[in-house]
Amino acid sequence: MERKNKDLIYASIIWFVLTFVGEMLLPSWRFIASPPYSIEGELIDEAFNLLLVLGFPVFTFVLVALFYSIFRYRVKEDDLSEDGPALHGSTSVWLTWLIVTGLLAVIVLIHPGFTGVSELRSNPTADMVVQIEGQQWNWTFTYPEYDITIDKADTLVLPVDTRIRFEVSSVDVIHSFWVPAFRMKIDAVPGLTTTMYLTVTETGTFEENPNLRVQCAELCGTGHARMRASVEVVTAEEFAAWVEAMQANAP
Amino acid sequence: MSWIKGILFGVVGYLAGYWLSISLGVERGTEAPFAIGYVFFFAGWLLGAGVWDHWARSWFGLENKTPPTKESHGWKRYFMFSTDHKVIGVQYLVTFALIFFLAGAFAMAFRYELMRPGRDWLSPKEFNTVMSTHGILMIAVAVSAIIGAFGNFVMPIQIGAEDMAFPRINALSYWTTPPVVFLILGANLLQGADYGFDFGWTAYPPLSTVAGLGKLFFLLAFMTLGLSSILGALNILITVIRLRAPGMTWGRLPIFTWGVFTTSFLSLIFTQFVFTGLFMVVLDRVAGTAFFAPDQGGGALLYENIFWIYSHPAVYVMIIPGFAIMLEILPTFARKPLYGYKWAIGGFFGIVAMSATVWAHHMFTSGMPDWMTVPFMAATEFISIPTGIIFLSALGTIWMGKLRLKTPMLFALAVVFNFLIGGLTGIFNADVATDLQLHDTYWVVGHFHYTIVGGEIFALFAGIYYWFPKITGRMFNEKLGKLHFWWMFLGFQAVFLPMFWLGYNGMNRRIADYIPELAGTNMWVSASAFLLGASFLVFIYNVVNSWVRGPQAANNPWGARTLEWQIESPPIEHNFHQIPTVTGHPYDYGVEGSVHAVLAPQAEAAD
Repeated sequence: MERKNKDLIYASIIWFVLTFVGEMLLPSWRFIASPPYSIEGELIDEAFNLLLVLGFPVFTFVLVALFYSIFRYRVKEDDLSEDGPALHGSTSVWLTWLIVTGLLAVIVLIHPGFTGVSELRSNPTADMVVQIEGQQWNWTFTYPEYDITIDKADTLVLPVDTRIRFEVSSVDVIHSFWVPAFRMKIDAVPGLTTTMYLTVTETGTFEENPNLRVQCAELCGTGHARMRASVEVVTAEEFAAWVEAMQANAP
Repeated sequence: MSWIKGILFGVVGYLAGYWLSISLGVERGTEAPFAIGYVFFFAGWLLGAGVWDHWARSWFGLENKTPPTKESHGWKRYFMFSTDHKVIGVQYLVTFALIFFLAGAFAMAFRYELMRPGRDWLSPKEFNTVMSTHGILMIAVAVSAIIGAFGNFVMPIQIGAEDMAFPRINALSYWTTPPVVFLILGANLLQGADYGFDFGWTAYPPLSTVAGLGKLFFLLAFMTLGLSSILGALNILITVIRLRAPGMTWGRLPIFTWGVFTTSFLSLIFTQFVFTGLFMVVLDRVAGTAFFAPDQGGGALLYENIFWIYSHPAVYVMIIPGFAIMLEILPTFARKPLYGYKWAIGGFFGIVAMSATVWAHHMFTSGMPDWMTVPFMAATEFISIPTGIIFLSALGTIWMGKLRLKTPMLFALAVVFNFLIGGLTGIFNADVATDLQLHDTYWVVGHFHYTIVGGEIFALFAGIYYWFPKITGRMFNEKLGKLHFWWMFLGFQAVFLPMFWLGYNGMNRRIADYIPELAGTNMWVSASAFLLGASFLVFIYNVVNSWVRGPQAANNPWGARTLEWQIESPPIEHNFHQIPTVTGHPYDYGVEGSVHAVLAPQAEAAD
């Protein structure tokens, strides 16, 4: 009995230290992730961070129990002389485990689960509409408020700090409209118009950050991998100038 | 032999079906005569492979031929329509090991293409087909390998039965699988516009309704695989319910048998959905229906729903047997009872019950109504609770044990480690917010390889090493087994861990080409993939060499308690000299005086 308690104490200490150090280091994941360019992207990064923070103690718990057992209880490979103690786990151990795992599930379900859905997908207002149409294997961007349509576009120009509603559709098979830097995607489904709301927070171009690109994210046939377009986020003034130039060039 | 006769009958059947459909007025040059021809090929194949000789003759008043036995046909019975569950188990094991290596070779092919950005040697269309072929063949392995091999070989012995409940249906479910491989490889060999299938194993329409014979081949292959699953599941359920030895109560059933049993519920109930979904796609292609054609009033999202109602439970069809092998092996090599035996069974049933409620978490970005994402997110978070039970059961079993780190044990412990990473990364996919970024990226590729390869395939290898002495009667080389383990384990981590980073940083799934900024990591992943692939050469050498000239194995080399270890290695036909009487729990290590089963003394019974 004494040895059992000692092992529990040692393992708990290792678990605590490992978890503590890990939790200190975890937020630095942002240094190796490409930065988000939208309010929604920030929210998603926060949700990602929170799930990391909540998941990490579970990770270390299993890891410590696993490796502590392997190193502490290892015997010679052919030694069948002695059996371990016949532990079955008391009901209280199992109930505690169920309650802890259940609570963790409820916590992540409420936040960032429910909160995430309500923040990202429940406000149907926008300052501007951009229609995205996918076809094998390129994109058509339409700005209905400005009467601009760009067929087989290679660049999507967007104004910064503007809440945009993307209305996404497809003429042939299922595509998916994804801008990795915005952290959001929505499928382009033939026969449906799907929507996605975004506010871009920083200007930039594909050349500065390759994740500023429209990338088809649903396998759509031969040209799927290259079904891309650059994204250029510009200031409101630059956007107005771009609109004017586009309208002037229109036939 | 069955293979040759099956192919001959199959070709005759195909020609007959093709001719019949043309003469009934089906238009030449369309896909319909091929589809009808395949149905006749399939019937001919089964008849030739053995259904005629051993089954159908009696329908016409003829005498059935007796199935091959060791005495009558020796090793040749492994290539024949045997109804012996142990022969069928070995047939499944070897067939699916070959499919596994074949599918792995396809992965090597496309990882070579992905080593550098830009095009190396595969055209985008070839890449898509090679990637899809890898996918569907691995799905076949994951769905069928453990259930087919050990569900057949080990389960009946564990419950003290002489064979499966329906031996001929058992043979039928095995002989249903070769046409799957014929079709998949056939699609890869077609030329021109008919070549290949470029829509992934998910086969979402309208992409999967675009013309091309290779695409039709894929759909027919997947349906055939489904048929095999349904037949196998039915047989396992009845066997476990009806054929347990005296005293083998539900509370004494070995955990592996419980895993196979609960999995079979899933296969039996849900495989029908994917069969139906694929059948509707085939009808859209050949019969002019428009179930999934949006321009004619069909719905593209409808297919996604039908497909995932099967295909999410399918991942539990894959992983529950993996968990079950892990929980079977841990007590043996920890010399301790399975911790929380009844809770673990509850965990299996919990997963089974909840698996049907989570499917739309594959569709968070599909444009389904936002409010509808919430219940699926909730169900997905909650399915972590029964999974957590399995984990505590595993950890409680090794805690304070006497751990003997032999090869099967190393693989079983690796299942805990790998599935931990696979499970935790799944929570990020279950959360709607983070899934908007992660869906359809390499994050998901990393996640499901950690769960299915890291969980199930590592368990499959654990099972192969664990039951190898029982199946072959010979011991494998322990040093080579350990070498294979460490090589495969480290190679696996090196391939799939970086994928989480790739996914978050903008690399989506199923792409033949990527932006140059991701080149370094992809080079690493490809190089590691070749390393991982090479690890199986050690396995193949060890297994083949040991099977031929390994030392004789003892009846119970691991000191295990379940019934398969109390009989000869390899077991005699019908397993037992006399049906055993079960008197106690299978995992009572360290329990004074507990006896799992009483067998007739072998020498006495043999007299």
